[in-house]
Amino acid sequence: MNQYAKMIIVLMIISIASGAVLALSYEVTNPKIQEQARQKLEESVLKVIPGAAKMEVVQKEDMTIYLGLDEQGNKKGIAFKAVGSGFNGAIELMVGYNPSEGKLTGVEILSMSETPGLGAKIKEEAFTNQFNGKSVEDKFIAKEDVQAISGATISSTAVAKAVKTSLDNVMKIYPVGGDF
Amino acid sequence: MAKELFFIIIGSIFVNNFVFSRFLGNCPFLGVSNKTETAIGMGIATTFVLTMTAVAAYFIQNYVLAPFGLEPFLQIVSFILVIASLVQLVEMVILKVSPALYNAFGIFLPLITTNCIVMAVALLIPMNNYNLIKSIALGLGAGLGFTLALALMSGIREDLEFADVPEALRGPAIVFITAGLLSLIFLGFTGLVPLA
Amino acid sequence: MQLFKDFINGIWNENPIFRMVIGICSALAVTTAANNGIAMGMALTFVLTCSSILISLLRNIIPAKVRIPCYIIVVATFTTVVDLFMKAYFPSLYEVMGIFIPLIVVNCIVLARAEAFASKVGPVRATADALGMGLGYTWAITLISMIRELMGAGTLFGYHIMGEGFTPWTIMIMPPGAFIVMGILVGLMNMITRKPVE
Repeated sequence: MNQYAKMIIVLMIISIASGAVLALSYEVTNPKIQEQARQKLEESVLKVIPGAAKMEVVQKEDMTIYLGLDEQGNKKGIAFKAVGSGFNGAIELMVGYNPSEGKLTGVEILSMSETPGLGAKIKEEAFTNQFNGKSVEDKFIAKEDVQAISGATISSTAVAKAVKTSLDNVMKIYPVGGDF
Repeated sequence: MAKELFFIIIGSIFVNNFVFSRFLGNCPFLGVSNKTETAIGMGIATTFVLTMTAVAAYFIQNYVLAPFGLEPFLQIVSFILVIASLVQLVEMVILKVSPALYNAFGIFLPLITTNCIVMAVALLIPMNNYNLIKSIALGLGAGLGFTLALALMSGIREDLEFADVPEALRGPAIVFITAGLLSLIFLGFTGLVPLA
Repeated sequence: MQLFKDFINGIWNENPIFRMVIGICSALAVTTAANNGIAMGMALTFVLTCSSILISLLRNIIPAKVRIPCYIIVVATFTTVVDLFMKAYFPSLYEVMGIFIPLIVVNCIVLARAEAFASKVGPVRATADALGMGLGYTWAITLISMIRELMGAGTLFGYHIMGEGFTPWTIMIMPPGAFIVMGILVGLMNMITRKPVE
């Protein structure tokens, strides 16, 4: 057999086999990956809305809002995603908010790539819990009304800024004291 | 836009230098940082390949992988194949166009395929949703950052040859410790790029 | 005996991290906590072993001229498999490793063993070699990550070890700490294994 023909055939067989193996592993793992992502989302929504047991997804003016409901189906609050630009890249957060009171009910970091030991501390409850009960009228400025993590002002500012920006957008749809 | 591009480039050269703070490209960093001349040759060759890879990765991601939904399982295979072919192509073109240039940094080219900076840049582009221009900026910044790291290290290593290094630390060990100190210096750039 | 030699080779004599000093990007990047070290080591061992076996089996079929592209496809395939399975079953670990799981594909250890060893011997010896190299990599990076976690965070595998009064040396889990720990360990390895001066 021609040497070149052999090369091409071998390469082709290996590529096809590789494609088949990958397509198969994707089929096997994909449902699980989707499920993991959904679970993670739901967990974070329920965590930032106290008293919520179920979540419902609603689209409002091209914003995705997660409604938190308790067992009886009463609305307990809303949650939405916010993105800030941290020191090493994007920081994604879930923010819980109660429109009738105009107060935040919780903040949870979904993903970030901040420096371990410094910026990564934004994940800790010691940092995120300070947002609970903050009002829409607060300024959300690190080192003023938001306690910054020492040595990680950039990461702390990014979180505070992301919360404030997204909150301002959500307030246009859900004014304080209004229904949700 | 111009501001953002500037930040991507400065960010990947200084603040998040690919070698000193993202730990990418350490094998060639150790291997070819003996002499300043070869180090800079390697740096330039890598920068060139990186910029081209960034363009290729952008088009493959947005016009082949994403539209057909192949991204989750064919991304790694297709990126590495593209990088390997690109490196070969660059090698052949340089050999034909300018043998002098080939003699200067041709020997580094085959090594670039397994430099993880190249693969990392390809993977970072879809991860950050960069557009074409930002992708090029990232490739260029990564390459310049790598070149800077190599140039700094080779300069130090040329002097280290005359230093009285404890016997056990000779070779890679002292290079790592020096890299640690350089990395410490690069931490000083923290916060240089303001928030977008 | 030969098999045992092949196996031990990677663990000690030619330890990829401390002796050959290859494949160190991931060894520096993910070693901020001991758990990550073990997980990364297992992921690499899997890719290395599977690729070595397959390449060894195919060694007489693959034409010499296209061997590198063939190896790359094989390695990339197994890397993607690990990537997908980790994403599905260990999402929190996957998140920490980030880009370094897909980067196994360009890890010098895998290609170096394929080219230098697996493509020349039968599958049994290739397996012994790959497992040895994988384990050698795993213990090395686990050691690095244990030192960094203990000093940088005061914990080990997530459990608090150092007492309340201990102030973590944050620098250890930041990039400079990785380089310095690595340098000192490579130096120590040199000291231990140094042949007596004649």
